[in-house]
Amino acid sequence: MAQPKNQSLQIERWDYRLTFAKKGRARYISHLDLMRAMQRAIKRAGVPIWYTQGFNPHSYLMFPLALPLGTESEVEVLDIALTEDWDCERLLKQLNSSMPEGLYFVKAAAPVMKHIEIARAEYEISIGFDIPAEKALELFEQFVSRDVIEIQKRQKPKKGRKAGFKTVDIKPHVNMLESSVKDGRLYIKLTLPAGTELNLNTGVLVDAFCEFAGAKILRIYTKRTKILCKNGEEFI
Amino acid sequence: MKEIQEKLEQLLLNTQKPARYIGGELGSVVKDRDKVDVRFAFCFPDVYDVGMSHLGMKILYGLKNRRENWWCERVFMPEKDFEQTMRENNIPLYALESLDPIRDFDFIGFTLQYELSYTNVLAMLDLAGLPVFAKDRTDLAPIVVGGGPCVCNPEPMADFFDMFILGEGEEVNVELLELYEKMKPSHPTKLEFLREAAKIEGVYVPQFYDVSYNEDGTVSEIKPNTDNAPARIKKRVVKDFDKVYYPDSFVVPFTSIVHDRAVVEVLRGCIRGCRFCQAGFIYRPFREKNIDTIEKETKCLCEQTGYEQVSLSSLSTSDYTQIEKLLSTLADYTDKENINLSLPSLRIDNFSEELLEKIASVRKSGLTFAPEAGTQRLRDVINKNITEDEIMHTCRMAFEAGYGTVKLYFMLGLPEETDDDVRGIAELAQRVVDLYYEVPKEQRASSIQVSLSTATFVPKPFTPFEFEPQALPEDINRKQKLILDTIKSKKIRFSYHHQPVSILEAVLARGDRRVGKVIYTAWKKGCTLDSWDEHFRPELWDEAFEECGVDKVFYANRRRSYEEVMPWSHLDYLVSRRFFIRENKKAHMAQTTRNCCEGCSGCGITKEYGGVYCGAAKKSEPAN
Repeated sequence: MAQPKNQSLQIERWDYRLTFAKKGRARYISHLDLMRAMQRAIKRAGVPIWYTQGFNPHSYLMFPLALPLGTESEVEVLDIALTEDWDCERLLKQLNSSMPEGLYFVKAAAPVMKHIEIARAEYEISIGFDIPAEKALELFEQFVSRDVIEIQKRQKPKKGRKAGFKTVDIKPHVNMLESSVKDGRLYIKLTLPAGTELNLNTGVLVDAFCEFAGAKILRIYTKRTKILCKNGEEFI
Repeated sequence: MKEIQEKLEQLLLNTQKPARYIGGELGSVVKDRDKVDVRFAFCFPDVYDVGMSHLGMKILYGLKNRRENWWCERVFMPEKDFEQTMRENNIPLYALESLDPIRDFDFIGFTLQYELSYTNVLAMLDLAGLPVFAKDRTDLAPIVVGGGPCVCNPEPMADFFDMFILGEGEEVNVELLELYEKMKPSHPTKLEFLREAAKIEGVYVPQFYDVSYNEDGTVSEIKPNTDNAPARIKKRVVKDFDKVYYPDSFVVPFTSIVHDRAVVEVLRGCIRGCRFCQAGFIYRPFREKNIDTIEKETKCLCEQTGYEQVSLSSLSTSDYTQIEKLLSTLADYTDKENINLSLPSLRIDNFSEELLEKIASVRKSGLTFAPEAGTQRLRDVINKNITEDEIMHTCRMAFEAGYGTVKLYFMLGLPEETDDDVRGIAELAQRVVDLYYEVPKEQRASSIQVSLSTATFVPKPFTPFEFEPQALPEDINRKQKLILDTIKSKKIRFSYHHQPVSILEAVLARGDRRVGKVIYTAWKKGCTLDSWDEHFRPELWDEAFEECGVDKVFYANRRRSYEEVMPWSHLDYLVSRRFFIRENKKAHMAQTTRNCCEGCSGCGITKEYGGVYCGAAKKSEPAN
């Protein structure tokens, strides 16, 4: 009988939590593709990555939170494990030696919190509409101060249920921090639920607003600025 | 660049797999546009996922970018959705590195890998904002140049190109760009440049040749209309293949592509001489790289790209003279680095147990064989020198090693094919299934799946079958049904090729310049991405043939005499016409021809081109 390839070996591992940025052209990399890109980047960097123990060993990489395609960020988290105890500075330097444009690591540290502690994320959104920014701001403030903010949430097909859309009120989940006009565009800063329990994409809120305002987006620029825990602390 | 980039940033958010259209991958070469003298847009006329898998582009991309003042960039055909987006938003076709419009480049190069990409060439020129006909592009730049295997008969595309490059590109590309760099400051006309370029061996400028036709529609003569052009254009061959340039890094894509792995070329050319196979003749002679070179290139590529899979590329990897030694050398490295070594293109006959183990040690996938014909007699006709015993022997080894899926590839409509041969395909598959049940339960896999797949034979230029008619669609349909009726086991799955595609391929492969207007008309009607089932529109192609008054049967289903002037007879791929005629006659008598390793059969290629076996009188035992 075939045996798992490195079953008998108990290889010691050291865990690291990396913070990385995804900007510019790199923000069009989908989450699935990002996995592969990171795997290769780590392979290229020649750091002693820990391989999973099984029939099909692969390098251990764990992203606790996906970043929507098109959104920029400097706070993304990637957990990896090494087979050697490396200094964080050295790891960071080595990893950044061969990264594609727009993708780079900003921090390496030992993981402190558990993935399930992630509860919310903070975003900054700048949007240019086919209506004046001042008008968009006025409408947006009306939009978020309503008692109910309904969005269409896509439902996956389940037993006895077809794929479709469900109307959900997201008002209780939206935490507005700022809305203003900056550089002639509507500027929004807010936090939304993120993580395993409930995940809300900025896109659904923006789409709902467009429908409310009858406005069309000409330019949109979204950035995730923080990943937060339940108590409001940053995830580390 | 800024303008295109800004437009793209918004549009890509609503596009399928946007990473295909924005560049920025690791390994892509970005230079300062003000500091380069020659800009080359390397276009692959199909979507990114396919084009990025193409080895030739990786080689020529690296080769040109080695020169500080040359900049070669990549360009692919957009999917239908994005092509429409580009047109609606006035985005001209741009190159992925600079995001600059390619109409401003010095060269636009297309690689013609398969006939069904021809309409994409027109679509891409048009998207770039350029006239599709060469005669309407009067400025010096961009010069539209074509290369790749289809260029062995580029006549159907002759009106759209300024020039073609015949054979291997590593040397001639450099010579061509050097000439351009030298002439550019003196602002020559396009004609002046083409005249000089035509003096380079391997460069074919179609406008320098006139074609005349006989009353029966066949070509009567192809002759140069200027002193600058040679009567026959000879393909280029890299004589010292071990020393040829090979890239030390690839552009590593973000999105998954067809062949997403490091690829190392181990040999070029093929010793086999299967009579249907164009690649087997146009890439001759057989040359290989040294083990040291291959090992060095493998390590370098894996380190630079971070790929966890490396594949050895060739027409038949097991024909490498020291294959066992090569594999153990490479496996030492790949095992250590957790890299998966894959070996496509293995032949059945020299497939040893050890070899099988080596492939299986990393990942056990299926086995694929291409017996091509169902009976020994027909395999002799096509000179596919493998026997059923060999197939069975290898399958037994595979089953004993725990393999449970076998894919068998065949062709339908081969010359001399009878119904017995067709039934033989299904019967062979059945014997493979039976063989599985003979292997003890403890050894074999839990289930068996034999996938049978047939493609319609397409006669190609520069093969012994270039004279042969393609089987008529009705005949192929009947034969497909015959196989279905002969299959009894549920363990055999049968799939076959879409009919109209093969006929179109046959017309385009052996067409002359008059077929060009059909391609143009079909494209005008909306045909692009013809190699994709979901986009192929046979009814539009039929309309185009009808409107242009071009008869498909004349090109696809007519037997051509040995005396006929072929549309490609002014092109010299070194293998002689006499050899093809001899091989054709032997095929009809079901006589095989020995391979190059067993002894030279006099195909016409001389020693000077660096072939391992060229000029060898009898079988020489390669040192292991």
